[in-house]
Amino acid sequence: MLSYIAHRLASTILVMTLVGIFVFLLLHFSAGDPAAIIAGDYATPQQIVAIRQRLGLDDPLLVQFWRWALRVIKGDLGVSIFSNTPVGVLIIQRLEPTLSLALLTMLFAVSIAVSLGVIAAWRVGSLVDRALMGFSVLGFSMPAFVVGYSLIYIFAIELRWLPVQGYRSLADGVGPWILHLILPTVTLGLAYIALIARMTRASMLEVLEEDYIRTAKAKGVTTRTMLMKHALKNAGVPIVTVIGIGVALLIGGVVITETVFNIPGIGRLVVDAISKRDYPIIQGVILLFSGIYVLVNLLVDLSYSLIDPRIRYR
Amino acid sequence: MTTTRRRFVQGSLAAGALTAAPARLRAQTTPAVSRTIRAVLHGDLRVFDPVWTTANMTSYHAAMVYDTLFGVDDKFEPKPQMVSKYSLSDDRKVYNFELRDGLRFSDGSQVTARDCVASIRRWAARDGGGQHMLARLADTPVKDDKSFQLVMKEPYSLAVEWLAKAATNVCYIMREKEAQTDPMQQIQTIIGSGPFTFNQDAVVQGQRYVYDRNAAYVPRSEPAVFTSGGKVVNVDRVVFENIADEATAIAAIRAGEIDMIEYPNVDLLSSLEGEKEIKLEVLNKQGQLGWGRVNWLHPPFNNVKARQAMLHLIHPTEVMKATFGDEKYFKGCSSLFGMGTPMENDANIGWFKGGQNIEKAKQLVKESGYDGRPVVVLHATNIAYMNNAANLIAQWMRQAGFNVSLQASDWGAVITRRAVKSPPDQGGWNVFFTSGSVNAFGNPVALSGHAANGEKGWFGWPTDEKHEAFRDKWAAASSDAERRQIARDMQQNAWDFVPHMYYGQWFQPAALRNLTGLIGMPELIPFWNVKKG
Repeated sequence: MLSYIAHRLASTILVMTLVGIFVFLLLHFSAGDPAAIIAGDYATPQQIVAIRQRLGLDDPLLVQFWRWALRVIKGDLGVSIFSNTPVGVLIIQRLEPTLSLALLTMLFAVSIAVSLGVIAAWRVGSLVDRALMGFSVLGFSMPAFVVGYSLIYIFAIELRWLPVQGYRSLADGVGPWILHLILPTVTLGLAYIALIARMTRASMLEVLEEDYIRTAKAKGVTTRTMLMKHALKNAGVPIVTVIGIGVALLIGGVVITETVFNIPGIGRLVVDAISKRDYPIIQGVILLFSGIYVLVNLLVDLSYSLIDPRIRYR
Repeated sequence: MTTTRRRFVQGSLAAGALTAAPARLRAQTTPAVSRTIRAVLHGDLRVFDPVWTTANMTSYHAAMVYDTLFGVDDKFEPKPQMVSKYSLSDDRKVYNFELRDGLRFSDGSQVTARDCVASIRRWAARDGGGQHMLARLADTPVKDDKSFQLVMKEPYSLAVEWLAKAATNVCYIMREKEAQTDPMQQIQTIIGSGPFTFNQDAVVQGQRYVYDRNAAYVPRSEPAVFTSGGKVVNVDRVVFENIADEATAIAAIRAGEIDMIEYPNVDLLSSLEGEKEIKLEVLNKQGQLGWGRVNWLHPPFNNVKARQAMLHLIHPTEVMKATFGDEKYFKGCSSLFGMGTPMENDANIGWFKGGQNIEKAKQLVKESGYDGRPVVVLHATNIAYMNNAANLIAQWMRQAGFNVSLQASDWGAVITRRAVKSPPDQGGWNVFFTSGSVNAFGNPVALSGHAANGEKGWFGWPTDEKHEAFRDKWAAASSDAERRQIARDMQQNAWDFVPHMYYGQWFQPAALRNLTGLIGMPELIPFWNVKKG
């Protein structure tokens, strides 16, 4: 088990190195010059050249990459070209809103989706099943911004129950924190609910056909025990896998949701950085996202043995 | 130890109280909502140094925190602001300045002549007008704490105009310590002597920037007009909110979460109709000017006939309608200096009076000897008015006989590519579209885009010696009347050789919720004089 974890962690480093190289090259070969953006519209070519030299953007690509890679190895993601603030500090400043949104969404979506999936499988073919699956299709096909604007219109403008936008830190109190996160969480969670609910239903349907479920029913266990203890636990591996894979969906959704609800999280940080070609921020955030994605999937893999003790890692 | 339900509830309450406590503490120092203005301006504030960048957002920030030696009134005439007295010697070589009493930085230190001289020198190293002055500056002697001079090498009348201008870069006065920073490096400390102080602790980078009323600021006694007069602050706090999504900003002002949107999306303005507390007001009465630059280094626009064809084929009303819809928000522009500026005139505008004339353009393209090679038009798709301008003008260019290659990208890529001087088929370009404040176009020397000094100049690199001679003459003129006449001659010549062309001038309204007294002016949203409620 330990050697498996060590092996996976080593491969994480390899993946992140490849991501780092790819992102660096992609950014530097794509059109756009931060010096020109910094200088402003009326700057002369001479002023832009001076800024480029000052930022080291005139150095050969290899020199720039080596300089960046050395810093990253030391844990230094560099300094934002525009705000002159260390990227690490910017990421930490933006971490709380993004983590709050992502974790709350995960909690909300998993609890709703698993319940819906179990009910749909239990009542397969019924009106409830069809309604739930119809909802899943709708949830997965509606773009986050459409859901977001619709929720804003209903709950913030018409009913005035919830704020339109912004984020309040947990340090400002649980009430304001949760009030500002309800609409973004529902917006972001909808696609995730659809994905997990469908997988739960499919996995449960397979398990409910198994002999041991029939045996359990014959022994007279209650429906609740049969569904939650016998069926759901055995249907867990594919559900957890989809939750892990869905983290990528969540990361992509965070970017849009943070923009629609004006949440100062990492998603918005990277969108703003892309429009301004703030290379250190883009590189730092993508490295972070790729690291999170790889680690979440490692945790998912490790959780298999907890769900199904027959699975062993060597 | 087992967790009982009672213990769980007790623990939860304790945790809630702990997380809620800081909010209560903070509430004691947060001004009331009725004394706070929350404004969504045109972009995010990324750079805090007004010398390091020409970004208008940075200038908005700087106008809160710093003060200027001179301001301008509504006729764009310089008026003393930090200065109490000033004079220019008869030979127009020595400027004398004396600071007014009561000027203090927000750290409590007195504003001195040394701070002013250091700030002027740093600003002049980067600003177009400042550089013009610096090239003729012999010395900046400090006489005492409150007095200093600008000693010029030759007679020079423009120094006060440069020090007063509201177009970026503005000459804001910093402490000598910060002003000694290399102009190519950003300053690290934000301490000014302006009407507000920057509350760094309350800033959430990328979301909100907070300014508190500077209780120690002593405003002038004259009424506030543009950047001149008394900067009297009527609220306790101003927050620059960065809401990138336009629909969200509109929803936020409808819900009363914000008090102002500088440039609400024109397509969404109808959703504000019926909102009694919200009014739409054009603050920048001069507006914004859309212009197209053609590349003089390569065919076909190294030929004057091809450039003249561009003047005849653009239909400003159609371009503007596509973006701004309602005609009350735009008009065409025939003057080289923009409509509504002191230098506006009607010399040589037959091409404009005649309206769009594709046949004439076709004839001029033919006369230019254009050989049918692809004409690369840079097309910024992420900015609505540029997107519409490129699409429409490219189509008219095709009708006039150009073989147009419309190359789509975001604006960030356009501003990189426009600096490339190689031929269009090797990464260069032929045409790009941008915009600028009309106020900036009113000054033929300060705006780098007005230069026609070839490859040393702004993108497009027009060359015309006569035009350059006019610019020098304008700079050396001693009266406004003389400048206006030179501007007329300059325009007469310019619309013959066609340095660039305009596709419309627009006046985008701001959305204001229960705000009064906002000073409408180009280049800046001043938050002094404003009242809420």
